[in-house]
Formats: sequence, structure tokens, C-alpha cells
Amino acid sequence: MNDQAVQPLLSVENVSKSFGGVQALRDGTFELHRGEVLAIVGSNGAGKSTLIKVVAGAHVPDGGRIVINGKEVPRAEHSVSHMQECGIEVVYQDLALVPNMTAPYNLFLGRIPRKLGIFVDERKMREKTREVLAQLNVTTVQDLSQPISSMSGGQQQSIAIGRAIAWGSDIVILDEPTAALGPNETAEVERLVEDVRERHGTSFILISHNLDQVRRLADRIVVTHHGVTSREFRRDEITSDRLVKAITLGE
Amino acid sequence: MTETTASRQILTPKRVEMLREYVPFIAIALVILMFWAISGDRFMSMRNWTFIAQQTPVLMLLAFAQLMVVTTGSIDISIGSSLAFSAFLGALGMLWFGDAGLILGVFAGGLVGMVNGLIISLLKIPSFVTTLAMLIIVRAVVIIVSDGTAIYITDGSVSGGTNISSVTAPWLLSMGKFPAIFIIAAIVALLTWIFYEKTVFGQQLRAVGGNEKVLRLVGINVTTFKIKVFAAAGLMVGLAACVNLARAGAATPQAGLMIELDAIAAVALGGTPLTGGYGSVVKTIIGAFTLTIVRNGLTIAGVPPSWSQVALGVLLIAAIAISLNRSKVDVVK
Ligand SMILES: Nc1ncnc2c1ncn2[C@@H]1O[C@H](COP(=O)(O)OP(=O)(O)O)[C@@H](O)[C@H]1O
Ligand SMILES: [Mg+2]
Repeated sequence: MNDQAVQPLLSVENVSKSFGGVQALRDGTFELHRGEVLAIVGSNGAGKSTLIKVVAGAHVPDGGRIVINGKEVPRAEHSVSHMQECGIEVVYQDLALVPNMTAPYNLFLGRIPRKLGIFVDERKMREKTREVLAQLNVTTVQDLSQPISSMSGGQQQSIAIGRAIAWGSDIVILDEPTAALGPNETAEVERLVEDVRERHGTSFILISHNLDQVRRLADRIVVTHHGVTSREFRRDEITSDRLVKAITLGE
Repeated sequence: MTETTASRQILTPKRVEMLREYVPFIAIALVILMFWAISGDRFMSMRNWTFIAQQTPVLMLLAFAQLMVVTTGSIDISIGSSLAFSAFLGALGMLWFGDAGLILGVFAGGLVGMVNGLIISLLKIPSFVTTLAMLIIVRAVVIIVSDGTAIYITDGSVSGGTNISSVTAPWLLSMGKFPAIFIIAAIVALLTWIFYEKTVFGQQLRAVGGNEKVLRLVGINVTTFKIKVFAAAGLMVGLAACVNLARAGAATPQAGLMIELDAIAAVALGGTPLTGGYGSVVKTIIGAFTLTIVRNGLTIAGVPPSWSQVALGVLLIAAIAISLNRSKVDVVK
């Protein structure tokens, strides 16, 4: 019983990844527990996005292990669809949505429901979209036939997050979800995250440059420096000073 | 002063946006009215419209093929040569296997399209370059295979000499005439509309044109999808080639020369941005008709062919300048 409670939902151990000559990630190591918000901070180019793309299955790591619910993900099965089956969803920085498509399409991205094998089940998509938006208390998105590029940044981010939580995933990864948003929209997204965590017990990995936001939302903070997850803080031991120092100096 | 404020109120951004949507329809209406005014009954006759209805289908099907590819953000300029190749193989198929052999023409188009898709996706060579090379190669292949001679479709009334190859297929020739050719075109148009607007495949065309990186990140295999797109477009070219064979009554090595440009122009006249992500089957049909009508109208009005080409070019630029929503296109290349 005790053992069960301690076993992390996700455990990333010494994961590395390089692109050609660039070692984007040298040693990514962290654990994520159920219902927890874990923040990953670090300066630009520190390897944060690469780390979460590996976790999401978009990149196959060069080395290291990823263990989900006590089961290691075999190298051969390391793919987006496998990670989705394991309950991991990502809202990518800049690449979360297809701008010329509608909100329902984006919500169903990668799992479009079919009728008769080849046709789009548009009714099902619209209904589910309304359901998810209502669940998230998003009332500003009304016209579901518009391309999402005509919506505000906050509305787009709501749909992106809606997409990640709509399928009952256990782990939602947010890569700089409020970097492009104004203060009101940022608050809206933060409310969404807290709300979803409270109601569904979803775990979040949050990448953010906004240290105030990180301190508001996160239970623990992992600092990434030059491709290494160098330092970890608990919520109660964080001060902005120590964080900034860790981000810029690695310690 | 009052006038400018009034016109400003009438042309609100939202209204301009809506108006843009209708540019292809307005353009075709204006073009018809203009030629009616210039040439009167010589243009607005049953005979002339029958001619236009007979003239448009091949271009329309080629424009459909182009539309699919353009929607994904790529382009296919090999279709003129592919048309000649497909028509030739269709005719050869009929020589070898009888009437049903015509289907070989459709598959030949699909094959050219698939080769395009394979080269683009696997060798990562841009579609413009790949299909330009295929335009040259496939035309050469047609000339080599045909040895520069044509295969004729005859109705059996004149028996050809032994030294020319011909196929007796009166049914095919009658399919190439109004109204059969028009009915075939209408059926294909309807099916294409359903395919483009209602299927998961059609939806994915627009999504790939929107941002294919996002699709890759959610695990969609964009590479195989693109190969399928070019193959599907190729099948459509093959179908167009069979229709062209019926209409022209011969498969010649020169068939479809420069017609890839007409197909692109028809798509553009239909308001489809060549940058991908958007498109409309209905407006592409309008675009194909506009192109045919302008060419026909200028000929009837007595404009020499070279000048009518100039007029077509100007029309193309004007239509795109008006219909292009620059806020949707961030970079002009
Ligand atoms: N697909 C890629 N190909 C080549 N280099 C990459 C790729 N992705 C990231 N990099 C490089 O890896 C390093 C880390 O990038 P990234 O993980 O995006 O950092 P962060 O998200 O922390 O800003 C950078 O130097 C970046 O240029
Ligand atoms: Mg990043």
C-alpha cells in the first residue's frame, strides 16, 4: 500500500537526445506523481522542449529510460500513439493547433471520428467540442465553424488544453502555454489548469518562463541547464532569487 | 467628405471579407455579360454553350487534381505530360484488351502521381522541382513509346489503313460529345465535392496545408498521406485523359501541352490560395468555366490568339489580386 503510493506515475531517467552534432538534451531526469503539477524551467535552448518531446513520443531518445506506472517503455514502442495510450498528452509551444482548421477539428486532432469508414462525423465532433468547452467553463467560443486563427490567443490556448484533457489523459504537458498571452488570458489558462487538476486529478508538466506563475501553480520545480536537469525545488523552499540563480548558473 | 465616410461604412472589413468569397462568381458573371454585350447571339447561342460545355470538362477534372495537391501546399506541374501518357496507355489498353482496357489510362495517371509523391516525400525534393522534372520525363516517354504517332479512336465507318493504329469504339466517341461528356463531368464533380468536403481525407488535405508539423507531432503519418494525395490527383488526371481521348478521338504525343498552366489558373481563378490550407471545389468549377469562356469569347470577338493569351494573363492577376486575403498569407514568395 505504502509502496503503491510512492511509485511515481512517470519516471524519466537519464534521458538524452542529440540532433546531428547538437546535444540538445544530455541528462533529463525527473519524476511525476499523480495529481501533481511539476514545473520545468530553464533558459532558452536549455533542452526543455526536447525533453518533453521525448516524453511525448515525438522523439526517440538516444539513451535513458522512461517508466510509466512502473512499466518501462521499450525503445521499439517509443511513439506518439504509444504515449497517448499511456495517457500522455501535450500542448506544444507554437505547434499545438492547425490554424486554418476549426475548433472541433483541433480538439479531435489525430483522432477524427468516422462515419462509414471514410466520412467525418461532424455532429459527434461538434457535440463533444461543446461538452469539453462547457466542462472548461469556456463560454467565449461560440462559432464552431470558424478557423481557430480567427480566435483570440486565450481561446486558442483553451482549445489546445481542451484537446489535451478531453480524452481522459493522466498526464498533460504544457510547453510555455502562456508565453504569447496577455495577463487576463494568462489568468484564464492558470484557472483552467487548477480546475482540471482539482476535478480530474490530472498531473501536469508545466514549462514556463513566468516564475511567478510557476510558484503559483507548481508543487515542485525542476531546473534545466545546458541539457541537464540540474536542480529540483519543493514548493516551500522556492524563492525567486534561488530560482533565477539556478536557471542562469545551473546551481 | 461625407461620401468617403459613407463608402467606408459600406466597405467594412467584414463585408470586404464576404465580398472576396464571391469574387469567382462575380467574375464569371461579368465575363459572360461582357461577351454577350460584345458578340451578342454569336456568344449567347445554344450552339456556343454546347461547345463550352464540351470544352470545359477535361480542364475541370485537371483543375480538381491540381486543387487536391495545391490544398496541401504543394503543386503538380506534370499533369500535361501525364495526360498525354495516360491517354496513350488508355488507347493502348483498348488495342490490347478491348474496351475495358481504357481503365489502363486511369491507372497510368495514378502511377505518375504516385511516383511524384514518392520522390517528393522520400527524397524530400520540393514538389515544384519534382513535377517539373516529371513533366519533361513523362513527355519524352510518351514520344518514345508512341514513336511520334497517334492512336485514333474511330466509329468504324472508315476502316483505317493498316499502317495507322486505330481502335473502333463509337461508344467512346459519343461519350466525348455533349451531353454525355457534360453528365460525366457533373458526376465526377459531385463525387469530388463529397470527397473534398465530407471525408477525413479531404479534411486532412486542408490540415496538411495549414501546418503539417502539428500533424506530425500528434502522430499522423504525413509522408504516406502526401504520397496518397499525389496518387489520387494522378488518378484524376488519368480520368481526365480518358475523357480527353473520347473528346479528341485520338491519343497524340502532343496532347495536353501547357494544360498544367490552365489547371493552375483555373484553381487560382477559383480563389484558392496556392499557399495551401484552403480551397473550394465549387469555385474551382467556376474557375475552369471562366477560363474556357474567356478563351471562347475572345475568339468569337475576333481577338487574335496571342492577344487573348495576354488578356487571360491579365485576368488571372486581377482575379487573384482582388480575391487574395493577404491577412491569411504571411509570406509572399
Ligand atoms: N529538431 C531539432 N533539430 C536540431 N536541433 C534542435 C532540434 N530541436 C532542438 N534543437 C536544439 O536543441 C537545443 C535545445 O532546444 P529546445 O529543447 O527547444 O530548448 P528550450 O525548449 O529549452 O528552449 C537548442 O540548441 C536547439 O537549437
Ligand atoms: Mg521550448
